[in-house]
Order: sequence, then structure tokens, then C-alpha cells
Amino acid sequence: MRLALWLAAAVLTATAGVSWAAETLPIAQIKKVTGQAAVLRSGDRRPARVGDMLFVKDVIETGPDGGIGIIFIDNTVFSAGPSSQIALDEFQFDSNDFRGAMLADMRQGTLAVVSGDIARSTPGAMKLRTPTAILGVRGTTFAVQVYGDH
Amino acid sequence: MMRRTIPALASIVLLAGCPRQALFVVLPNAEGGGAGAITVEDGKTATILDQPYATAESRAGSSAPVEESRGNISVIFRSAIAAQPILPHHFRLYFILGSDELTPQSKAAYHAVFDDIKQRPVYEIEVIGFTDTLGDLPSNQALSLRRAAAIRDTLLRDGLDPQAISIAGRGEHDLLVPTADQTPEPRNRRVEITVR
Repeated sequence: MRLALWLAAAVLTATAGVSWAAETLPIAQIKKVTGQAAVLRSGDRRPARVGDMLFVKDVIETGPDGGIGIIFIDNTVFSAGPSSQIALDEFQFDSNDFRGAMLADMRQGTLAVVSGDIARSTPGAMKLRTPTAILGVRGTTFAVQVYGDH
Repeated sequence: MMRRTIPALASIVLLAGCPRQALFVVLPNAEGGGAGAITVEDGKTATILDQPYATAESRAGSSAPVEESRGNISVIFRSAIAAQPILPHHFRLYFILGSDELTPQSKAAYHAVFDDIKQRPVYEIEVIGFTDTLGDLPSNQALSLRRAAAIRDTLLRDGLDPQAISIAGRGEHDLLVPTADQTPEPRNRRVEITVR
């Protein structure tokens, strides 16, 4: 019984450790900011600054005169125009074999994308969700506009 | 035949009557090499866009290909494209047989790598070392890591940020030019550098 409890605790600790590590690894870096841009993380909104790292579940946001450019660790490039909101919902990437998966949720605004290693090495693994459709990305350069009043 | 045509026409009228909700455009690839390809799935249909400036839109939850002028496309996405950072670049540098010293040609090519890094406001650099198949696996693994480390040391000597540089060695795995074992091959004695 004691052993079983100890094992259960060990498994819980190990699992918690793994998910903590996975969620704290940066998935992208902010490379360019113009005008107003912000990052929403766990309920906090902070100004976006060039050099800041981004993590899974972060939301990038721009004001009416804003723009932001980021590059993911798989070399995917996102650049958003004014009044945009994009949530970085899911991201996994293995730099050893370049395989992974990503899902970004584009809620409004304009976004230009140059896809990277995930779309190249894992067909169908890069997805962009909009309120009306899901984009599967085979590569490489495309743009999406989502209107605010749907 | 008529029975199939009428609902199709009706749905076009319905689509045209609703405001546009989203626009999807394939752009010419940034650095040559044709166009991108995307699939727009709305739960009912899947629209494949795979030509430069191929465009689809969503209205009332349905998506369909549309014609949109290049002029309009460039106006709509001007700010998003202007926000694009310098794209990631890849470089290969080659080494002298059995050594972590660059070939004379690659010593010259190193300057292009450094210049590329310096033009970026912030940067991340990944250096992965490789060997040819001459020699045994463990010593090639070690040599590949020494090659990556040698490049990192050069970058650091040139004043770059240690926290922005990561290195790895892949030994004789992932050959650029596939060869049999114990084959000297200059193109496999390399580092691959990604700058972003």
C-alpha cells in the first residue's frame, strides 16, 4: 500500500514535471513591432517588445496602428497587421527530425505567413483556425484576413 | 439536371448577399520557388488554393474560390506584409578532413553568415555539425560537435550573444550526400547554420 502510494506520487510528480517543462519552452520570438502590439498571457496583457519570447497559449494582439512579426522555432514566420488577434493554441516541434504540429487561432485582423519546418516535414500538421474555416497548410506563403464583425 | 442546378444557384445568391467573413490568399513564395498551397475547410467543402494570388472567401459559414485583384490584395495585406521580419536564412560551411577547421572557401563564406546575423535587431542561431562516414561513429559524433562548437566560438569572438546560439552534433547521420561507410566526402563535412 505504502509502495503504491509512493509510486502514485512519483508518477504524478513526473507527469507534472514533464508538462511544466513542455509549457515553459519558448515557441517563438518577437522580431518586429510597429505601433501598438501586446501579448496576452494567463490573463495579463503586456506590451510586445522585440526580443521577447512567446509560449504556447500566448495571444498576440495589435492596435489600430499596430503590427507584429514573430518567428517560431520551426522557422515559421507570422506577421500581423492592425487590429489583429491571434492565439498560439498548440505547438510541438522536435528539432531532431523537424516534425511537429501547430494550431493558431486567428480571431480577427490580417496575417501573412511563411511556413517553416513543420509544414514541410509533416503534411497536414500546420493548421490555422478562423471563425469560419480551418486552413491546412502545405507551404509556404499565404495571407488571411478575418473580419471583426462576424 | 435542373434539380441540381437550382440549389447551386440559390447558394451563390445566398453567399453574395452576406458580408464577407474571411479572405484567404496564396502569395508567391518569398524567395522564389513557385507558390504556396493551402486548403480551406469549412466543414462542408474543402477548397484547395495552389496558384499565386489564388483567393477564397468565407460568407455565411461557406467558403468558395473568388477573384480578387492583385491591387486589392496588396492593399488589404500591406501592413501585415510590412510587419514581416527578415526571414530565416540557412547556411552551410565545410571543413577540412578530420578537422574542426573550415576550408579556405568556407572561411570566406563565414562573413556572409555574420553579416546576415548583424542585420537583424534580434537573432537566434542554430549550428548543427556533421561528418562524412570515414572513421567510427563515436569519434564522428565528437567531431561533429567540435565543428559546431568551433563555429559558435568564432561567433562569440565576433561579439555575438552566447544565449542566442545553440549547437548540436549529428555525427555521420543525415548525410548531405549519401555514401557508403568509410567514404571521404567533402560536402558531408559541414555545419548547417540557421539564422532567424
